[in-house]
Amino acid sequence: MDPDAVAKAFVEHYYSTFDTNRPGLGNLYQDSSMLTFEGLKVQGAQNIVAKLTTLPFQQCKHSVTTVDCQPSGTGGMVVFVSGNLQISGEQHALKFSQVANNFPYQL
Amino acid sequence: MSIDPDALATAFVQHYYSTFDTNRSALGNLYKDNSMLTFEGQKLQGAQNIVGKLTSLPFQQCQHGITTVDCQPSGPSGGMLVFVSGNLQLPGEQHALKFSQMFHLMPTPEGSFYVLNDIFRLNYA
Repeated sequence: MDPDAVAKAFVEHYYSTFDTNRPGLGNLYQDSSMLTFEGLKVQGAQNIVAKLTTLPFQQCKHSVTTVDCQPSGTGGMVVFVSGNLQISGEQHALKFSQVANNFPYQL
Repeated sequence: MSIDPDALATAFVQHYYSTFDTNRSALGNLYKDNSMLTFEGQKLQGAQNIVGKLTSLPFQQCQHGITTVDCQPSGPSGGMLVFVSGNLQLPGEQHALKFSQMFHLMPTPEGSFYVLNDIFRLNYA
């Protein structure tokens, strides 16, 4: 499969899940997963979802401006995203960048 | 790993940008044939092509100012992801550009690191 298409599909899935069903993000992380969110380090799917579902806003909307990806060795892929984050009630959107290192799921 | 990963990441970032700002062609030592750079959407592979791109950017001088450095170990291979945000001041420009950059560092047999993956984006207002 075309890596750029895979990256784009992942990014669309990630942010639409974030924006409509934040607890559903748990399926994308495992025990070894790490999140650094604005400098705060969190490990493991449970802790990551707990952090993301307790952010101080109920509703948000991500819109993605750029998606770059590269194979990262051992079957993984790094995905680099920049975009806007609109929080309900706020006049101006926040700008963000995010990196993910994705690995194939081991069955 | 006995070395503090955050200290390693900070040291790498300082080395990378001071080399970029003072001796850009020397960046070649940090990449290998399998290294990849995506620079504002343009994809390049290999140390030679990467240095070719970086040394032909349309400015002679620049100064990077680093605002944030985040890092995480990147899996069983001993690699490390480093995520940087900061400012890029070009001479003669009144305002600095804002940028984000991601490095995926891999260990070398000699005990140091090289850049396997490098993605650079300017952050427009």
